[in-house]
Amino acid sequence: MLRLLATIRKEWQLLVRDKTGLTLLFLMPVVLITVMALIQDAPFKDYQEVKFDLLTVDNDHGRLGRHIREGLASGGQFRIIDTLDGKPVTAEQARQLVNEGTYKISIIIPAGATANIVSNANRIVNDISHRMGMSLALPVKKNADSLDVTIYFDPAAKKAFKGAVHQAIDNFLTQVETDMLLGRIRQELKSKDTSVAPSGDTLPIRLQAVGLKEEATGTGKQIDVISNSVQHNVPAWSIFAMFFIVIPIAGNMIREREDGSLLRMKLIPGSYLEILLGKMLFFVGICVVQFYCMMLVGIYILPLLDLPKLVMGRDAGATFLVAAAIGLAATSYGILIGTLFKTPNQALNFGAISIVILSAIGGIWIPLEIMPHKMQVIGHLSPLSWGLDAINDIYLRNGNIAYVWKNAVRLVVTGLAMLAIAGYVEKRRMN
Amino acid sequence: MSSIAVKELYKTYTGAEEPTLKGLTFSFRKGSIAGLLGPNGAGKTTTISILCGLVKASSGEVLINGLSQDAHHREAIKQQIGVVPQRIALYPQLSAVENLTYFGNLYGYKGKGLKARIMELLEAFGLEKSADKEIHKFSGGMKRRANIIAAILHQPSLLVLDEPTAGVDVQSRSMILQFLREYNSQGNSILYTSHLLEEAQSLCSDVAIVDQGRLIVQGNPEQLIDELPDCDNLEDVFLHYTGHALRD
Repeated sequence: MLRLLATIRKEWQLLVRDKTGLTLLFLMPVVLITVMALIQDAPFKDYQEVKFDLLTVDNDHGRLGRHIREGLASGGQFRIIDTLDGKPVTAEQARQLVNEGTYKISIIIPAGATANIVSNANRIVNDISHRMGMSLALPVKKNADSLDVTIYFDPAAKKAFKGAVHQAIDNFLTQVETDMLLGRIRQELKSKDTSVAPSGDTLPIRLQAVGLKEEATGTGKQIDVISNSVQHNVPAWSIFAMFFIVIPIAGNMIREREDGSLLRMKLIPGSYLEILLGKMLFFVGICVVQFYCMMLVGIYILPLLDLPKLVMGRDAGATFLVAAAIGLAATSYGILIGTLFKTPNQALNFGAISIVILSAIGGIWIPLEIMPHKMQVIGHLSPLSWGLDAINDIYLRNGNIAYVWKNAVRLVVTGLAMLAIAGYVEKRRMN
Repeated sequence: MSSIAVKELYKTYTGAEEPTLKGLTFSFRKGSIAGLLGPNGAGKTTTISILCGLVKASSGEVLINGLSQDAHHREAIKQQIGVVPQRIALYPQLSAVENLTYFGNLYGYKGKGLKARIMELLEAFGLEKSADKEIHKFSGGMKRRANIIAAILHQPSLLVLDEPTAGVDVQSRSMILQFLREYNSQGNSILYTSHLLEEAQSLCSDVAIVDQGRLIVQGNPEQLIDELPDCDNLEDVFLHYTGHALRD
């Protein structure tokens, strides 16, 4: 026990003396998760949540134009911009500004659009009246030219973005047209048949009789958490940063081998395993502290930058277990690299690059679900993916130890396997 | 009784074409200051590594204070040996006291007893004023002296030193050699390797010259010089047996 505690104290002294290393170990991950959460905030938001500037040209000046502008603005999804420098936006100006990328979207409501819709509604009402035996002849336009609301997109806009916005505006146009038509029918029917007693039904006519409602899938009390930028990036990049403990551990071990401290330790009676265990416990502890520091950043710092607050789920014990298991796997990986490689440069390069690869395939950069199938299969072999899956189970699915034990065991077993390989390699060196 | 006895020692490293040690045999009596001398590549470091239990011999026998260097006695032998490696085997970022406390703890020592032992040794080696200074701020001589202290914290009866005076100033070297004589006078055995043959001649009561994995000659330095009429010192004897060809 004395050897173990002495090793923990020694590692602590070494870490505290290395001010730069200590800063990098804790400050860099904070910067990393903050930057990544900010950068990936928009892509993580549904288009429904994002508010777009919509350059609007209303050549109609009628009810349709007014309805469209008011409707789009009240929906909260679009910010209507219909004047620039105090003057109404022209169609050509709108086309040019969108083409330049100054604005992402623009719609042009053509002149006579309201008249066209009213004429169309009248035609339908006339037709219905005629079929019901009523002699009604509302005015209609002689020529039924079709008029289109024109929509411009920034040429650099992504297809998915265009599709989503196009559909949102199309749905809205349909809704406005339908409302106007139904209003006209109700108005005409009321004026032609006043003898019929009112039914007392004052509810508006709805096109949709059956609605759609979303509910959570879990059984227990649900936390209202959605996978946003913070919920993905904070745990994901924290795991990435924890694995970077490989660099100081491997460097430390190679230095100990180079300067002869390792030799001195091996010359002292007693098991070297105890010393190694002390080193491991220290670095696993550092990883866990690092993890919780990152979580605190997610809870207290990121909301100051207008990002959502991190929600850590309900099972603190499961979170600690997973953090410790990730720390163990990361520390063991560092010990393995420190054992296999002969120079700090080799270990540094291999360690850093391998972590970047493991994180890329493990769903840290982009979620595994959107990768090709083969990559998903490979990605599930990355310890970083096990860690992230386990954290997501706790944070997003409100899971407990029963949800995460398999991934925690995978991490621990992999860690122990790496230690065993390191032990074997070290033993072979004696020969 | 011998402090070190090596018999028919062979060592071939994995993947090596030739053996490093080819039937090396020598012994040093207990309580002596012995020198293991040889040109680069003679097998000195491999021999010391086997003596300390860091490397396994391919075949042959090694006895340390009468104990066979095998898995059964390895821990007991470690307790009896103190090794001063050629490199400064200390943590540069830690102070002398922190380094020595750590290695003392690994030996199982703690508390006031360990602290007193550390301060006593630091004083003996003239390092008491730099006790709390980080090792990387030490001069070369100070580092060498601290390196020796770390090897004798547990008062080993056999002290093995690999070029302990390489690259140190005259004052530090004098202090180190004086310490070795004093430590030997307390009944402890010393095995020492060096390329400084004048130093070995003045310090050692027994030397073994090895080359290409074999013992070339062994004896008291003065006797070895007397045996060869054209040799005036140990360096002449060394060159007589190992030749003038460069070793790379």
